[in-house]
Amino acid sequence: MDGQLPAVALFRLGHLFVSDTVVTTWGLMLFLFLLCRGHNRGFHTERTAWEITREGLVLAIQEAIDAVLPEAGKRVLPFVGTLWIYLAAANLTGILPGLHSPTADLSTTTGLALLVFLSVHWYGIQIHGLRRYLRHYVEPNPILLPFQIVSELSRTVALAVRLFGNMFSLEMAALLVIIVAGFLAPIPILFLHIIEALVQAYIFGMLALVYIAGGIQSLGTKALAKEG
Amino acid sequence: MQLDWSTFWLEIINFLILVWLLKRFLYKPVLAAVAQRRAAIEKQLADAQTRQEEAKALEGQYRNRLGEWEKEKETLYTRLNEEIEVRREKMTAALEESLSQEREKAHVLEERRLKELQEKAREAGGRAGVEFTARLFARIASPELESKLTAVILEDLRKLPEAQMAALRAGSASNGRPIRVTSAFPISDVQRDAVSAVLKQISGNGATIEFCEDRGLLAGLRISIGPWIVHGNLKDELGFFSEMAGHGGE
Repeated sequence: MDGQLPAVALFRLGHLFVSDTVVTTWGLMLFLFLLCRGHNRGFHTERTAWEITREGLVLAIQEAIDAVLPEAGKRVLPFVGTLWIYLAAANLTGILPGLHSPTADLSTTTGLALLVFLSVHWYGIQIHGLRRYLRHYVEPNPILLPFQIVSELSRTVALAVRLFGNMFSLEMAALLVIIVAGFLAPIPILFLHIIEALVQAYIFGMLALVYIAGGIQSLGTKALAKEG
Repeated sequence: MQLDWSTFWLEIINFLILVWLLKRFLYKPVLAAVAQRRAAIEKQLADAQTRQEEAKALEGQYRNRLGEWEKEKETLYTRLNEEIEVRREKMTAALEESLSQEREKAHVLEERRLKELQEKAREAGGRAGVEFTARLFARIASPELESKLTAVILEDLRKLPEAQMAALRAGSASNGRPIRVTSAFPISDVQRDAVSAVLKQISGNGATIEFCEDRGLLAGLRISIGPWIVHGNLKDELGFFSEMAGHGGE
């Protein structure tokens, strides 16, 4: 929260400018990688508290996914689970002094929304096949196709803008409170930041899960049953 | 609020890399460990179920075996009781028989002992009676008593059956020795004549008669005719009584 919310290009990587958002994301990736890396211990060995926490986190994510999409929970777990974990970490990064959340950058949220948009079709096509998947856009009536397309695009845009808007405004509000009220006043705002960060991560991931489940379940579960 | 395409594409790549990293280093290991743990738990549950079933089967077998043992025990117990009963009856019968024999033997011994005691008592009584009688006879022995006894003897001799009288006569004749008449007191002449008359009547007129005295006879006569002796005195009577008492009064 250094008062410079817009992303700043730090250096150039070929034709790409590497901004502080990307660098922060790399740091987050390294942090998450170090946290999640661990040995796959056997059944009889005693587990550490972190291993138990890690297992609990993964199982909680899988349980939440299975509640919405029991047919393909394991398949979408890496994508949706990573969304939740990454967004929670990224949203909370804004609390740290000198850093701002990567999700307060529209480029990041747009990229994630695009990934969600693509993943919906990716999983749908993967499970139902291209023709069968595309057919659901024109069923029960082809006249609904434009509305379907608008719906897809609008919800993707909404997904990107919602997360960006919430996190950007949250950091902006915190910045303004610090500027206006001084040192101790931002503490409640920080609590609000934590809650908001976690809620927004949950909402983004849950919406992504719901969109993916909608794409998979729009044709019923017969195809899934055939796939076994 | 601006969209930076470099950041946009780099964030997409970053996220995809992160998906791969977490899938590789978080989800797969954790899910594999959970699956392994779940499989191990299920295996343990299955093993426990199997062991429980085996234990139940063993319990059933042991229950059946215990039931069989119980029945066998009851059968053996019943048989043992029967054998004990039979053996007890046999032993009781043998004991009763033995007791009966012992009782019979004791009864016989007791009877014998009583008989012997009676015999001894009778002998003692007889001896006492004889002694008493002997002392009594010794005190009452007198010439008068001897006279009376002599009269009784002579009376008896006169009343002897003919056969006995013939036997006395034959004995006197074959012996050739004189007839000896022994008395405790001196016999008067009258009595001596009466005795001689009777003896001559029995043995014949040719017979010689000797008279002698023996105080041991207490009172009465002892007449020796050949091999025959006529006991008509108190001593011989006492001896006779004593002998009768010694032979049980027979």
